[in-house]
Parts: sequence; C-alpha cells; structure tokens
Amino acid sequence: MADLKSLSAKKFLSMLPDRQAKFKAAAPVLPKVADNATALAKALHPKRQYLKIAEVVDRGEDCKSFTLVPDTDKGTQSLAFFGAGKYLTVFETIEGMPVTRAYSISSSPKDSLEGKYVLTIKLVDGGLMSKYIFDTWTVGTQVTVSAPSGNFEYQPLRDAAKVVCVAGGSGITPFVSMANAIADGDEDFEMTLIYGSKTYDSILFREELGALAGKCDKIKVVHVLSDEDKVVEGTEKGFITADLIKKYAPENEPYSVFVCGSQQMYAFVDKEIEKLGLEKKYIRHEMFGEFHNPETQADYPAGIPEKVKITVTIQDKTYIIFGKSSDSVMQTIEKNGLAVPARCRSGECGFCHSHLISGKVYVPKHLEYRRLADYKFDCIHPCCSFPLTDIEINVPAAK
Amino acid sequence: MKKYDVIIIGAGNGGLAAAATCAKAGLSTLLLERHNIPGGSASSFVRGRFEFEPSLHELAGIGTPDEPGSIEEMFNRLGADCDWHKHDSTFRLVVPAKEGDKDAFVNENGVLVTVDARMPVGFENFARKLDELVPGSYESCMAAFDLSERMFNAFKALDNPKMLPGILKDMPDIMRMVSHTLNEGLDALGMPKKAQDIFSTYWCYMGVPGSKFDFLYYMAVLHSYVRSGTGIPHLRSHEMSLAIDKVIRDNDGDIWYNSEVTKVICENGKPVGVVINGEKEVYGKYFICNSYPIAVFRDLFDKKDVPEKQLKMLNARKTACTLTTVYLGMNKTKEELGITDYSVFIAPDSDSDKQCALCNDFGSGYCIINCLNEIIPDCTPEGTCQLFLTSMTFGDVMRDVKPQDYKKFKTKVAKDMIETCEKALNISITPYIEEIEIALPPTFARYLNTPWGTPYGYQLEKWDSMIPRTVQYMADQPFDNFFFCGASQERGDGYGCAYYTGEKAGGIVVKALKEGK
Repeated sequence: MADLKSLSAKKFLSMLPDRQAKFKAAAPVLPKVADNATALAKALHPKRQYLKIAEVVDRGEDCKSFTLVPDTDKGTQSLAFFGAGKYLTVFETIEGMPVTRAYSISSSPKDSLEGKYVLTIKLVDGGLMSKYIFDTWTVGTQVTVSAPSGNFEYQPLRDAAKVVCVAGGSGITPFVSMANAIADGDEDFEMTLIYGSKTYDSILFREELGALAGKCDKIKVVHVLSDEDKVVEGTEKGFITADLIKKYAPENEPYSVFVCGSQQMYAFVDKEIEKLGLEKKYIRHEMFGEFHNPETQADYPAGIPEKVKITVTIQDKTYIIFGKSSDSVMQTIEKNGLAVPARCRSGECGFCHSHLISGKVYVPKHLEYRRLADYKFDCIHPCCSFPLTDIEINVPAAK
Repeated sequence: MKKYDVIIIGAGNGGLAAAATCAKAGLSTLLLERHNIPGGSASSFVRGRFEFEPSLHELAGIGTPDEPGSIEEMFNRLGADCDWHKHDSTFRLVVPAKEGDKDAFVNENGVLVTVDARMPVGFENFARKLDELVPGSYESCMAAFDLSERMFNAFKALDNPKMLPGILKDMPDIMRMVSHTLNEGLDALGMPKKAQDIFSTYWCYMGVPGSKFDFLYYMAVLHSYVRSGTGIPHLRSHEMSLAIDKVIRDNDGDIWYNSEVTKVICENGKPVGVVINGEKEVYGKYFICNSYPIAVFRDLFDKKDVPEKQLKMLNARKTACTLTTVYLGMNKTKEELGITDYSVFIAPDSDSDKQCALCNDFGSGYCIINCLNEIIPDCTPEGTCQLFLTSMTFGDVMRDVKPQDYKKFKTKVAKDMIETCEKALNISITPYIEEIEIALPPTFARYLNTPWGTPYGYQLEKWDSMIPRTVQYMADQPFDNFFFCGASQERGDGYGCAYYTGEKAGGIVVKALKEGK
C-alpha cells in the first residue's frame, strides 16, 4: 500500500515557530502595494462627483445643454471616464425633498478626460426636476452627480458591426455621445442614426450631427420629421416605421438596433422594431424612464384605495407616511422628505432594492428586473413598485 | 443610543453567517453592509432575460439527504431556507496539444489534446477513471483518499474527545500532510506525474499550485468534491444570501444596507464603536469584521490604535490571486452549442505550477467554462443558456491600463477567453452572445474592496497554510473583542470557508457574552 512514510512528520513541529518568526521579521508599517485595479475601480466609479456648471446652451424646443466641470473646492479633481451611452444620476433637494433623475451624457467620452460632461435636458411637462433645473441651473451652480452608470452601450462581442440607432426628440443624447466616440476612435461600429423630430428647425444637435457625419464615414444621419410642412431635401417625412428602418439598414448582413426616446415613442417604435423580426440580441433598449399611472395597465387590479399608509424603516428610524397608490413607493417616500437610494428609476439597476415587510405592491411587467430570489424573500425595487395596500418596507440608507 | 452586543462589518458570506449565529443565540446584533444587497460575492445580477451567478462554481458542502454537507448543515442549523440542486460529477480537464506533443490524441470534440479527463464522483470511480487515463495510478489515488478520510475523522475528533484515542495512530500522517506540499504527498504515494496533474486540477480553487499547496488542505478540498458531488442553489447565490438575511431579521437582528463603516472608534486602544457613512456613530461590545485587514487598518483605524503585529502580518503575507469572469447569456441551448459538461478546465499545460506561472498576465490560455443549465436546466428561458468563464491572474495585472482604455482592454481579455474555449471545445460561442458582462479585477475591487480585487484573501503558502492559521486564529486577532472572518482568514476563499469562519467568530462572541465577558 502506498503511504507517506518517506515524508518526515517532524517537519510539522517547526511550522508554528516558523510562521511566528515570519511575522516577527516583517516590517511594522502599513504596506504600500501598487494596486491599479483598485485605482481604476475608484476612478471609474466614484461614489459622488461634485461638479459646477461652466456653460449653458439654450437649444430651443425647451431643451438646454449644461456643461459640467469638476468642482475642485468640493473635492472632485477629475471626471470619471465613461462608455458612450451611460447616464449620470443628478441629486437635488427641491423644497426640502430629495430628488434624483438619470440623464444620458451627450458629450464625448474623450471630453471627460479634459474635465467636461454635457447633460442635455428637456423641460418635461409637469416635470419636477427638469423645471427645477431650468429655473435654477446657471453658470456657477454646484451640481452633485453619480458615477456614469447604465448598460446602454455598444459591445463589440455582442452587437453587430453595423447599428441602426433609433432616436426620438431628446432621446438623441446618448447617440450624440456614441457618434463622438466613433469619431474619436473610442468606439468602433458603423452607425446609421434615424432621428425623429417634429420639424426641421426643432432637430436637436442638427449641426453637430451633420459635422460628425461629414468628418467620419462610419456615421450616417437620417432625419425623420413628423410635423414638417416644407419639403426638406435629404429628410424623411412621418414616423420611424419598420419600413423606414429597413430602407436604411444593411441588407444582407446582421445589424443591431439601438433605441432611445420618450415613453410615447417606445409605445409606437417598439412595435415597429418587432416587425423587423430581429433576434433579441440585436435589439438594445435604453431604460424606460420613470413610470406613472399604473392604473392604465391592463393587469392592474380593481378597487385599490387612493390613499395608502407606508411604514418606512431606514437604519434605526421608522417613519409613518401617507401617499397615493398611483405614486411609486419611491415617489411617496421622497415626497415625504426622506432620501432613498435611487439611480435609474426604471426598475433596472436595482440600486433601490428593499425588503417589503408587509402589504402588497404592483409592478408593471415591463419593469420587472428583480432577481428570482427577490420574489421568494419579498424584495422589491421601490422605484417601480406601486402600493396596492398599506405597506411596511425596509429601505437601505440613501447613498 | 442603543449599544449592540455585536456589530458585524460586512455582509459577505462570513458576515452573514456570523450575524445569523449571533442573532439566533439571542444577542443584539447589527450587521452593516456598504452595498444595497447582502452576500458580497454571493449574489446575482440581471441582464436582459438572464440572471447570472456572479461567482459560485459549485458548493462542495452540499451532500446527500443521509449525509448533508457542511453548508447544508449550517443552513439547517440556522433555519435558512434554500433549495439545492445536486450535481454528480466533478470536473473535466482538457489540455489542448501543443506542436510536437508526442502523446497527443484527438478527443470526442475532434480536438488534438494531451489530456481529456472527465472525472466522476465517488472515490472508487475517481480512482478507476484515473487509472484508465494513466495506468498504474489506482493504488496511489485510493491511498490519497484513504488519507483524506482519516484526516476528516481526525477533524471530527477535535470536537468529540471520545474519538481521540482512535485517531492517534493517524496523527503522524496528518502531520506529514500538513507540512508537505501536494506534489510531495503525491510523489511519496508514488502517483505517476500525469495522474498527479489531473488529480491537482482543483488547485485554482484556492489559487495555490502543487509545489506550494499543502497536501492536507488540497485533500480536504478534493475529498469534499469527490465524496458525494456538489450542489448549487436554485435561484443563484442571491437566494443563499437572502435566506440568511431572513434568519437574521427573524431573530431580531438589524441589517443596515448602504451603511458603510468609515471608522472604527477606539477607546484606550480598543474598539468600542463604528462610524457609519461618515456621520452616524453606533456602539457595540464585540465586533466581527468581514472586510480585509489591509482595508480595515488602512482606512478605518487611527494609526495609533493598530496593533503592531497586524501590520507585520500584512507585510509578511502575499495577496492571493485575482479573477476575471465573463458572463454570457446565449441565444442557443447548450445542446445546440455542443456543451456537454458543467465544468471544463481548459489548461495550456497539465502541470499546476506551469499553469500558475502562465497566469502572471492575461491571455494565459487558462480558462474554466461553466454552463449552469447542466445543473439547473431551466435557469434561463427556453432556447437559451448561460455560460460563465473564469480565468485567474496574479499580481497587479492592471498596472498599465488607463481608465480610457479599460473598456477596450476588458473586451480584448473577454475575447481571448471566449476564443480559448471555442478552440479547446471546438464549439462556436461568439455569434450567439445575447448578453455579456465582463468582470476584471477592478470590478471585484469595486464590489469587494480587496487589494487587487482578490476574492481569495491572502496566499495560502506552505508557511501560512490552513492548519497553522487555524491553530493560531485567536493569537492572530487584533483585539480580544474584534474578530475577522471571511476569505482573509484560516481557510482562504470559498463559500463554505467563509461561512465557517463567520459561524466560528459568531460562536466565539456568543460564548464570551454567555460567560459574562
């Protein structure tokens, strides 16, 4: 029988003294280890970026571009680099109410290395944050944002080499960043941008996009105008339909479709894209945005009380608050002056992951991004959960 | 303000087990976690229609109903509710042939290889298969399993003094196993070199190659896989973490997420409390820390309060390996892709030390490919499957990468790994990728806050291996009311290892408080 007899058992006896000696002989100082993995993690994912506004450009159509630069006095020395398509979550306090919104970065990734992000924001009808931004953001205003986040990005191992980008209105912002990244060499794909606007004069970034297409042969721009009376050469009239996409898409080779726009646009365009019969992998959709009016959904139950009580525990504090069943749990918490962890506000990022202790909520099906075990252990994403009863909820601290 | 019996820093596997143990024993317990969900590495994430397992390959601590494994036992003890899937094979090792390899042959995939070993569960089965692949290895293989069987009995005897007399005769062999390397042990047993290579395949699970890994710990690892197979949680490891989270809450323990400890408050050179998110102070009698000593003493303590020995330990030890993982949601089934195994280790060389040496940079050609659908067929929607590729690296491998180059770098690393798998298995992966996520050491550094992003703790070298660490655990702790748990401790990485250290640290605190200390 094979055995270990040829090995010394006595060696064991010196092991502990050896180990102690090894420790004893080492230097009693904090080791300084070169660690670029951690340095990269910190550079790409800062907890917060403190910025100030360097420039405001009014683009008309209730749309403004804000150039944000590091607020060195508050400790942000440089900006996190990002993949084109990512968003920043903006943190504000409006009349004592902490509010967050996610806005796609419209500037080139390269610009961030020179200390510049541009957020291009449209004034939304009845929009709390956009109104606040339009009222108060001027040159010099201090703004706090998250690290660049989100998954609406080109990925060469997954996406086709040719991409039809479908944009509507202010949904153009991530594509402006992508087009710049292509021109700069940070991304490598052929972009055919099909961009829907109302009229020729209302096209956002018209000149910039034209210039990019002019200098880079990987970028092609097609404007689609829904309400234009004049005939404008080189533009399409109407809406972005399946036929229109086919007209500009590559014929005998695979292509990806990237979509970004308003919820109204998705309601139309998503059906058109479906008609193209593409494999799922070739359709990338920007996040839905904050969802309202759950009662409009076919599977929303009847007889839900208008007013609900929410018992919220954050760390060692418990608050009893009241709100409307038509507001998301997150909105009600914010409206009561409490800060919640919030990033995408579309169900996707999971940053607001919370424990539902009691009660029931409604989650629209298209915003279901919960993990399987979340169902088993009653965890929800408050940003897209609507209370159906009084509820008790345990929410992580805002961060 | 309430003073807790115990404050646990970090809700990784160790912290969760520690908090559950304390809460269940009736201690007032506060578990603090800087992220919004529990688990650390034990979690999951959703991309499109896929939910990915971020770190778990398999749990050796899931046994049979008659003989539950250590993790099952802990879940049962705590009353944590998790559904397991059993898996009844171990690994497949494929070593593609290099030019000039004399012993190369064409395997079932039509690939020219020097090794293709698909190893079964059960000691006898395993040894027979090894003998079939490398004639003359049966006896040494069975002898190795006999040693590990006796070793486990010796461990049991530590908790049961009645068994002690029965295992005394085994002590010399156990001492030999502890103080010699895997290679030395297998050489002594007379195992042929090629069989040793196959036998050593799991070295990467602890990140220590055969010339450095102690024979005892390797045998403990291999034994637990071969004895009765492995298991995996039904709903990704997020299920395991939420199950323990629930135990803590149900036993009146507090868990605060997004609550990062930013300072440990000391009085008279001893921890008395913590500061959370830079603003809120909480006090406690005992502390269990799931974060790494380097991060704790560098970032959380005033310099004057750090015991000198802790600094020396940090300098004497080496940070363990780092991992790169590629998560793939595929728009084809595993059958359509031609995947036939849960776990295939693809290695450019069969020797573990040579494999290790290749991992000093990316592009080593060393890659493990897992397909979760082999164990949980419906873990992805119909017509799809998910793949999980892992490779390892040692050192500051990100040293030359700038933030603006990171995305391209990451894509290149993933492309290399995918191509390694495609070639070694003669399959096509790239055209069918519907979702992809790539985690490099910076990703792990971001989520785990460990040096270089290692999930593996400190290198389990011969002089600092599991048994010496275990024996000196109490002496290695920084204060008599502050205990570390997790991968930085006795057993290194692994879910079962982290749970063990957490439960043990929790047990120490429970005992101390019961004794009125």
